Amino acid sequence: YPLFQKGGPQLRIFRPNFFMLVVRPGVPQPEDTVQFRVSMEMTKLDIRNYLERIYNVPVAAVRTRIQYGANNKRNHKNQREKKPDYKVAYVQLGQGQTFQFPNLFPEKEQDTETPSFDDFRNKYVEKEKQKQEGDPRRGGVPDWFGL
Amino acid sequence: MAALGARRLLRQGWRWFSQAEPAGLSAPPSPLYPPVVASMTAKSKAAKQRRLERFKERVHAAATVEEKLRLYGKLQRPKYVLYPQTFALNADRWYRSFTNTAFVPGLPPIAAFPKAPGAAPEACRAPEAGAEAPDAAKTPEAAAGAAQYLDMGELRSLTCDALLQESFYQNKKQPFLYREQDHTPGPFLTQLVSTLASFLSGRNPLLAASSFDLKPKVNYYWQHGEEVVVHGHRKGRVDPVRFQIDDNPHVQIRVPKQLPEVVPLESDLGDVPVINHKPSKLPLFKRQYENKVFIGSKVADPCCYGHTQFHLIPDKLKRERLIKKGLEDQIEVVYRSNGIASLFAWTAAQAMYQGFWSEADVTRPFVSQAVVTDGRYFSFFCYQLNTLALTAETIKNNPRKNICWGTESKPLYDVLEAGNVKGFNDEVLLHLVHFLLNRPKEL
Repeated sequence: YPLFQKGGPQLRIFRPNFFMLVVRPGVPQPEDTVQFRVSMEMTKLDIRNYLERIYNVPVAAVRTRIQYGANNKRNHKNQREKKPDYKVAYVQLGQGQTFQFPNLFPEKEQDTETPSFDDFRNKYVEKEKQKQEGDPRRGGVPDWFGL
Repeated sequence: MAALGARRLLRQGWRWFSQAEPAGLSAPPSPLYPPVVASMTAKSKAAKQRRLERFKERVHAAATVEEKLRLYGKLQRPKYVLYPQTFALNADRWYRSFTNTAFVPGLPPIAAFPKAPGAAPEACRAPEAGAEAPDAAKTPEAAAGAAQYLDMGELRSLTCDALLQESFYQNKKQPFLYREQDHTPGPFLTQLVSTLASFLSGRNPLLAASSFDLKPKVNYYWQHGEEVVVHGHRKGRVDPVRFQIDDNPHVQIRVPKQLPEVVPLESDLGDVPVINHKPSKLPLFKRQYENKVFIGSKVADPCCYGHTQFHLIPDKLKRERLIKKGLEDQIEVVYRSNGIASLFAWTAAQAMYQGFWSEADVTRPFVSQAVVTDGRYFSFFCYQLNTLALTAETIKNNPRKNICWGTESKPLYDVLEAGNVKGFNDEVLLHLVHFLLNRPKEL
């Protein structure tokens, strides 16, 4: 859609495909910078208004770039498969706020009383091994000869 | 084979079971083989070290300063381009870490008010300057030594003349879009500085011998820190991080003698912020072009030391625009980053013109001053360069830091009405005058 400039007609768009997905940055970003994947049609002004009006997040600066999705992989028919392009926005928060992407998969502490799957598996493996071994009274001698 | 072995055992000078030689023998014979050193062309760290040492020796052995500068900036690689007047948020913190500068709010006592051993009366409503006696408001007494009599009325009238001439008396058309700063505050600043400098040159002989530059260029190139090259044919190698400043102050004054040091060379007045992110997150971008080091004139110019720079804030970074965007706290950051970056580039380039560089650190501090303004608000900065050694190796055992003193921005006047200047602020004018009067103690 054409950007509004002074003197031009005010166009309205209903139900635009505007989404914002906060992602963990691949390279470390400064504390006040949040990284988003946004719709390709969103501009810096749209991103700023989105965050300020809908979520009340003070935005100091927005920078965007478009990430090209590669077109090198081939499927079983030897046709090239395109990974979709997407737009990345780096938003610097205002009023000195900081943001750190949370750790979504923290390490769980092992509970020693409740038996876990690993303990069960270890016990099964031990039982199988004992079945394989012969009579302990024979002292390790195999039983394919003798009585 | 046995015969050969036997002959080897009986060779001259081969002593297995001999006794220790008596002390006081003649000097050991000259070595038979050349010293074992690393290769020059191999792809190894030792070879890289040897090439670096050879480069450093070449620069140290250069005959003239021009040759040193030429060798210093000979190798061109992508470098970060720093802009002193930038819209980046909290840029002054990043710039302080790049230039190893500690910021001290307020002005040092020497630059703020020049020391006056006797009573230094000033014919103005005597400000809260130092420990002057209450009789400072009287007319000049015959004080011991030179009486410093500052005619504030004359200076105020000069300033108001310049202001009104540019904004009221002269018929100018409407400024073009986004060119307001070049329309009125620019010419006002040049007019003000030139009239004040010529008025005070009688008082300050250094100003009489100074060089007054209009829209000069100031460039400086340096290396600070290390990074791993991300992509390209040099991927994976550890490279120094290179920076370049290309600055255009509005007006600058260069002098033949250096300003006196403010604090001793090894003083520690603050902390340098440590930033572990890559400079490109500021945002800062890389480009490759000429590595220039320039103070505003070439090396042979007698006025090779800096006195004062005057910077004009561009239209993009004006107060009103920042307030409209909701970035009130960045207003002071703009002034500070401009002061720190421009002054660092200027003082470091002056030091390089004297033959110092990152391997040959400065032996005396270099001091310069700057005034950053947008036409109405003035900030004053004083910079002392204590060290040029910012590369990864030289900064390890370097306890010195560069120091920058700076003020907040204060308005010179409140409102400009037709033919009248309302709410004139004498303090700002006093700071400006004292900046211009700063001179080495011998003069």
